[in-house]
Formats: sequence, C-alpha cells, structure tokens
Amino acid sequence: MNRSILVNPYVLIAPGFLLAAFIILWPLYELGTIATHEVNRFGQLRGFSGLDNFMSVIRDPEFLGALGRTGIWTLAIVGGAIVIGLPVAMILNEDFYGRSVARVIVMLPWAVSLTMTAIVWRWALNGESGMLNSGLRAVGVLDANVQWLAQAATAFPVQIMIGILVTLPFAITIFLGGLSSIPDDLYEAAKLEGANGWQIFREITLPLLKPFINIAVVMNTIYVFNSFPIIWATTQGGPANSTDILVTYLYKLGFRFGRLGDASALSIMMFALLLLFTIIYVRLAMRGERS
Amino acid sequence: MKLTRKWKRTIVSWALLSPLIVLVLFPFAVMFFTAVKPPGEVLQPTWWPSEFVWSNFVTMWDATNFGRALWNSVYVAFLSTAIALVVSIPAAYAMSRFRFAGQGFFRQFLLVSQMLSPIVLVIGLFRLVVWLGLLDNVNSVVFVYAAFAVAFSVWMLQSYFSTIPKDLEEAAWIEGASPWQALVTVFLPLALPAMTVTALFAFINAWNEFVIALTMLRSQDSYTLPIQVFSLVAGRYTVEWHHVMAAAFVATLPVALVFAWLQRYLVRGLALGAVK
Amino acid sequence: MSLDAIKKATLAGAALSLMAGAAQAQSVRVTVAEYSSLTGPYFQEAAAAFEEETGTAVEIEVVPWDVLLQKLTTDISGGVNADLSIIGTRWLIDFVSEGIAAPLDDMMDADLTDRFIPAFLEPSVMDGQTYGLPIAASARAMYYNTELMEEAGVEAVPETWEELVAAAEQISALDDETFGFGLQGNEIETDVYFYYALWSYGGELIEEDGTSGLDSEAAYEAAALYKSMIDEGLTQPGVTSYSREDVQNLFKQGRVGMMITAPFLSNQIADEVPDLPYGVAAIPAGPDGDRGTYGVTDSIIMFENAQNKEGAMEFLNFIFSPEWRVRFSEGEGFLPVLTAVAEDPAFAEDPDLSQFTGLLPDARFAPVIPGWEEIAAITSDALQTIYLGDGEIEPTLNEAAERINAILQ
Repeated sequence: MNRSILVNPYVLIAPGFLLAAFIILWPLYELGTIATHEVNRFGQLRGFSGLDNFMSVIRDPEFLGALGRTGIWTLAIVGGAIVIGLPVAMILNEDFYGRSVARVIVMLPWAVSLTMTAIVWRWALNGESGMLNSGLRAVGVLDANVQWLAQAATAFPVQIMIGILVTLPFAITIFLGGLSSIPDDLYEAAKLEGANGWQIFREITLPLLKPFINIAVVMNTIYVFNSFPIIWATTQGGPANSTDILVTYLYKLGFRFGRLGDASALSIMMFALLLLFTIIYVRLAMRGERS
Repeated sequence: MKLTRKWKRTIVSWALLSPLIVLVLFPFAVMFFTAVKPPGEVLQPTWWPSEFVWSNFVTMWDATNFGRALWNSVYVAFLSTAIALVVSIPAAYAMSRFRFAGQGFFRQFLLVSQMLSPIVLVIGLFRLVVWLGLLDNVNSVVFVYAAFAVAFSVWMLQSYFSTIPKDLEEAAWIEGASPWQALVTVFLPLALPAMTVTALFAFINAWNEFVIALTMLRSQDSYTLPIQVFSLVAGRYTVEWHHVMAAAFVATLPVALVFAWLQRYLVRGLALGAVK
Repeated sequence: MSLDAIKKATLAGAALSLMAGAAQAQSVRVTVAEYSSLTGPYFQEAAAAFEEETGTAVEIEVVPWDVLLQKLTTDISGGVNADLSIIGTRWLIDFVSEGIAAPLDDMMDADLTDRFIPAFLEPSVMDGQTYGLPIAASARAMYYNTELMEEAGVEAVPETWEELVAAAEQISALDDETFGFGLQGNEIETDVYFYYALWSYGGELIEEDGTSGLDSEAAYEAAALYKSMIDEGLTQPGVTSYSREDVQNLFKQGRVGMMITAPFLSNQIADEVPDLPYGVAAIPAGPDGDRGTYGVTDSIIMFENAQNKEGAMEFLNFIFSPEWRVRFSEGEGFLPVLTAVAEDPAFAEDPDLSQFTGLLPDARFAPVIPGWEEIAAITSDALQTIYLGDGEIEPTLNEAAERINAILQ
C-alpha cells in the first residue's frame, strides 16, 4: 500500500478545519465571555454577571417587536423566493429563444453587493427626487409621490420585496439544478398516461424537487435571518424602530448604544434560535422524506 | 411547425418573466442614469438626463479614490478565494473518499458554522485580528473571508466529489499510477466544474462583503469597494449621488460580466453540490 | 487545543504586538471623522506640513461619521486605538468616566488654552480638567428662501413660531410642489430638530431634578406645534423619511420656504446653487420670548494609552494655529473656534456667519450625561411615532421620558 498523505483523511481535513475553527470558535468564546460579564461600552470586562445581560435583552420592549418582525421578514422572503422562484425556474428550464440571456438577467442581483443594491434602492425610493416615484407616475400607476420610507406600512413591504429579489437567484439556481436532474422519460410516461400539466407538477416535479426545496429553505433562512444591509441602508430600522429586525437591533445595541454585554447576549440567542430552527426543520424534512 | 411552437414558447416565457426582469434591471437603470446626469440635475427625478455627462466617471474616479479601492477588492477577492480552495479541496476529497471517525462531527461543524453571520461574531473577530497584528491590513480581511468560505466550499465540493466514481481512480492505481498522479490526471479534471463554481461563490462573497471590511479596515488606503462607496453616503453633510451611482456602477460591472460568463456552470455545480 | 492554551497564546501575541508598537512610537496616529470630501485631504496636508516642520510622521485615519463611534469602540476594546481622535463632545463623558481620555491641562501651554473662544472650549471641560479641544463647532439658525417669501407675500422674516406658521401657510399655498417649513424627521438629529421648539416654549432636555424634560408642558406644546404643521400640510409630506440632508436638498431646489440647519448649508449653496436667494435668521421665539439654538462641538481627544503623547500634543498645537484653522473652517463651513480666526475678515464680515455667532449666547450644548446616543434614539423614536400619528402626544412623550429617566439614574 502506498503510504501517502492522500490516504490519511485527518491530514487532509486539518488545514480547512483549523482555519474555520480558529475564525469561528475563538470569537464565539469571546462572545460567551462578554455576554456573561458586566462590560463597559469599550468592551472592558468588569466582573461576572451570570445571565443578567440575557434578561436585560428579553425585558427590552424593542426586542419582542424586532423578534416578531424577524419572523415575518424571514418567512416572507424565504417563502416568496420559493413561490416565485419555482415557476421562474420552470420557465427557465424550458427551451426558448434568448433563454441564456434571461437566465443571466434573473441571476444578476447575485453579482451585486447587497450594500450597493440597498444604497441604490434608497436613492430610488427617495420621495421627491427618487426615480421610482417618477417612473410610476410616468406609467400612470401613481398620481402623487409616495414617501416610501416614511412609514413601516410602505417601507417594510418594499424592503421585503428587495430581499426577495436578491434571494431569488440562489433559489432559482438550486431549482434549476433540481429540474435538470429529473429524467425526461418520467414526463413522457406521464404524458402518455394522459396527465395534465398540473398533475405532472404535483405528482412528479414537486416530489422530486423536495430535497432541493428543503436545501433552499434551510440555506435561505440562515442568510435572510442574518441579512443586514437592506434594512440598514434604507431605513436603519426606523421610523421609530418599526422596521427593526434582530440584526439591526443587535447593531444598534452594540455599536450605537455601547451595550456590548447585551449585544453579545443577543448574538448568542440569535445563534441558538437559528440552530434550533435548522435542527427542527432538518428533522421534519427527513421524516417527510422517509414516509 | 416545430419552429413556431418554440416561438410561441419564447413569447409566453418572456411575457411571464417580464415583471421580474423589470424589477431586476430597475436598480441598474437608476444607477446608470443618475451616474451620467449633470450634477445640477441629480436631484430632479427625471429619467433621461438633458445631456450625458460621461466625465462624471472620470471625476468620480479621483473624488472617490476608486482605483485604490478597486485594487484592494481584486486583491482580497482573489487571494481569499485561492486560500479557501487550497484548504477546502483536500478536506472535501477526504470527506468524499474516506469513512473516518469524527466525519459526522466535521460535517455538522460545517453546517453550524454556516449559521454564524459575521455581524454576530464581529466583536470577537476584531479581537482576533488585533491579536494577529493585522488590523487595518487588507490581509486580515483575506484571512477572515477565506475562513468563512471554507464551510461552504467543503460542503459543496464534497457532495460533487462523491458523484465522481471511485473506480476511475482505482483503475489508474492498478495501471501503476501513484495516488497523487491519479488525483491530478484523473480526478481533478473531472472535478473542475465544481471547483469553478465554488471559486465563483467564494469570489462573489468576498467581493461584496461589507460588515467585516467595515470593522477591520480603517484607513482609506485599505478600503474595499463596498466600504468606499458606503463611506460616500454615510454621515457626510452632503452626498454627491452622481458620484455614488457612478462608483456603484463601475464596481458592479466586472463581477456582473464574469458572472454572466460563468453562470452556466453555476447551475450544474450548485445543484449537484447542494443535495447530499 | 484548550481554551486556556488559546488564551495564553493570545497573551504572548499581545505582548509581541505591544513591542512592535513601541518600536514605531515615533509617529502619531490620528483618527479623524469625515465631514465632507475635503476633510481627508485637509488633514493629510496638515500632517505633511507638520512632518516637514518637526520630523514627526503623522498617520491619518479617515472614518465616516456614521461608523466613527463603532470604530472607536472596537479599537479601544482591542487596545489598538490611535493617539488622537475626533469624537462628538456629547460622547466625551463616557470616555472620561472610563478613563479612556487623557486630561490635557498638564501638557497644554496656557497660550493654547487662551486661543479658544471660551464658549466652545467649555463643553470639553469636566471637573475642572480639559479632556478635549473643539475641532469643529457649529450652531443652528433658520434659513429662508427670500424669493418664496416674496411670492407668497410674507412681509417680514418670522420672529416667533406663530409668525412662522402663518408664513408657512402662505408659502405652502403657492403650489403643490412647494412647502412652507422643512421638518426633519429621520436619522441623526431628528431629536435636535424638536429641541428648537422645545427650548422656545421654555422647556429643557434635562430638568433641574435630573430627569427628562420630555414629559413637560413645553414638550407637549412643541410636539403639538410640529404635529399640527404636518397635519395641515405646511411641511413636506412624509417627514419621517427626511434626514437633514434630504430637507437641505429640498431647500436647495427652492421647494422649501424655511428650515433650521447649520452654517455648512451656506457653503453647499454657494457651490451648487449660487443663484438661490436666501437669508439666515434667528430661530423663532416661543410665546414667552424664549429661544434657543443648538450648539455642537466635536472634540479632538488624546487617549490615556497614547503611545506618543508628546508628539500628539505638538500636533494639536500645530493644527490649532490660526492659519490651519482658517483653512479648516472655510472648507467645511464650520464656525471658528479660535478668537483669532473669528476676527479674521473672511469670517467677521460674512453675513451668514455673523447670524450664527450672534446666536451663540443663547446656544445650548448637549447636556453632559452618559448614554447620550441612546437617549437621542429614544427621543427620535417617540417623535417619529407622534409625527406618523401612531401615538398620542402626551402618553408617547411620557413613556419616552420614563425610559430616559431609567438611563439617567
């Protein structure tokens, strides 16, 4: 047997593992320390405080509001990306003229930094100088300028729309991969048996795409839950915290108000929340696949 | 007959996609038209400028220190992608070719580490970078990006590698090739598409990353593009929107082009990588 | 590797980096806030001139305002802060009480102290010790568009809020695209825009008993005034999406009759829309003749752990020379902080600036309280709730006052 490092898996995974662990475990340990200590605004530790920081976050009235909105935000964007992404992927899977151009366009938001997207939208949404209002007025959709970012009732839906737009490419890519893995004979067989389009979708496409949908749900939930730039660059969580989600609230706590202890505690709670969600979802999805 | 059916499908498809396409292209149009407006016209919400001021791009280049930021972004994105791939490929190879104790743990570690957003970790990361003496050094960002890319890269590569039959390598061994030769001549060429996709991912993420760069880089000489553009709108007493949009447009263009070019590999690679 | 081992490794690393720091202790590191595109180049030039004169190199780090506090916080927690930094004077107490900022008096020549206009130096003095030098100063006054006033038939510049409302009605009646009073309702200083009215009605931010002034009669009246102007369409629509910069843009377009802001708007108008006919006047008075403007200074502080205190002090001495200060104040559109600069004809004869300096006796500075940013955020949130009509004035302000009181004690 040829003794080579190529046959020792531990040697092979060591560099990647060490690099990732270093960058993740170390900061995590620091966070844990800060979260359980009294700490001044400059991160200097002042003494052990147990769960005080966690309690102070939970008691903050803004926390519950932000938590609820994070739920809506995540659900709406992940759900929206799937509900819109699935039909779009099916269209893009068809053979038509200009398909590769259409694919490139639909995937385009992926190539743009979220920060820049958000900055451009903020400018476009400006009430008096914004090009969205003037565009919509030119087409006749609007009579008067809408101050999109002035109240949560218009700002939050617009932010969710932007969120869906930038999440779509990833979802569509996964779905396209899934669709291409479904053998054509299955469709042909179904057609021979006289199934209509909806039946084919329900009986063949959807079940076979299920693992792909599950992946899209898990990955997108993680990304969207942690997504910061869209809300930050458009409203900074305002007006009156009405568009705050947990990450923007976290940023304010830590870097605006200097409550590093609370911010660290919140970081850990958010991480726990995501972990819990992923475990439950993966369990459910796996059970669903088995049955 | 066949032709007309395809044409019909073409029309229906484009019609159905059109609302989405309008929404996707809208920000690009806003960027472009604002970027070429005469400065005095920027605040008027008209679409078509009275004249196209291409020199905005030139003045932007100097006013925003664009060249330096562009170079930093290119440097960071390439180097971090390279490092991430160099450490991920062997790990992914091991995950797909061997069964070993601790494998399940490693897999879970990768998934869990995906869940940590840089924002959540930023306070701790900062202390780490300080300890390494890399503050305000673009290399600190390279290091962190590479590490954050490892989880995703290993995860994607290993499931793709699993689809490459082991027999091929074994056949090469039997013909007298060393494992190393087998790897280079048989395995790697087959794995190239997956590696391309993974690299593209790592590259885009590094090119676009915001929070870490914002925290770790402190002088304009080390700013990457997103930070440089953000600094043009953040807390200044005036915002020169035509410069901001021109900078955003130029910063977006190269990635968009590379992306358009490599996009076809993306679907194949990601799909195979994702489910497993 | 156990966590203990990691910890030990860090300590070793920290020691190493400290040694590395000591080796290059020659230069002075300065963190500066970016006020405009001119700030960076100005400080780079000053640094170059200083190096030529003294041989000491100065490294300038330019940081956008929005993230300045964040960067300082992370820098300090990592022990890698610069020697000098610009900070908002309203944050100073947090820096002083944690022992971050170094007292300067022992290092300062009496001559340097005497150069400053006392009103601007005073906010940086705590417990008899000077902890910072005012690098930028501004006050607020009312800008008005003379052409719109004339068109609308407004005879005199409003002296009181009552007159302002009347003038705003006339201007708003001109057409749908013109608004009488520009009201800021978003982002930094939303709370300050409210304090102008609060002070005019005789209110205070922090009352004598050390509690918030938001639950006072004056605060209710001030909020009612703004809210009624919003409801009657005398302000631009959607005030809660308008940051200061957005309202200024409307003013520059000639679409807003009156607004309250800082002297740098004059510079912007001169650069961008030199033909705009405008004037600057005092902030209107309340029913009892009270009025107040907001005075703001940013201070440059020295860190207690600075590596090169001597060089840093020398650099301060250098940039607070009249010559360099004239260039700074001219470029950025701030008020002079040195007596010598204020007497410079470029400033003394500027009609806009003299309006601002005339207001200084009435100027109030941000009170010296810890957690100012959080208090400002709570106040702004309450105001946005009121402006949006999502809450009644009194209960909303009372609740905000309660939360502020919890921070204050």
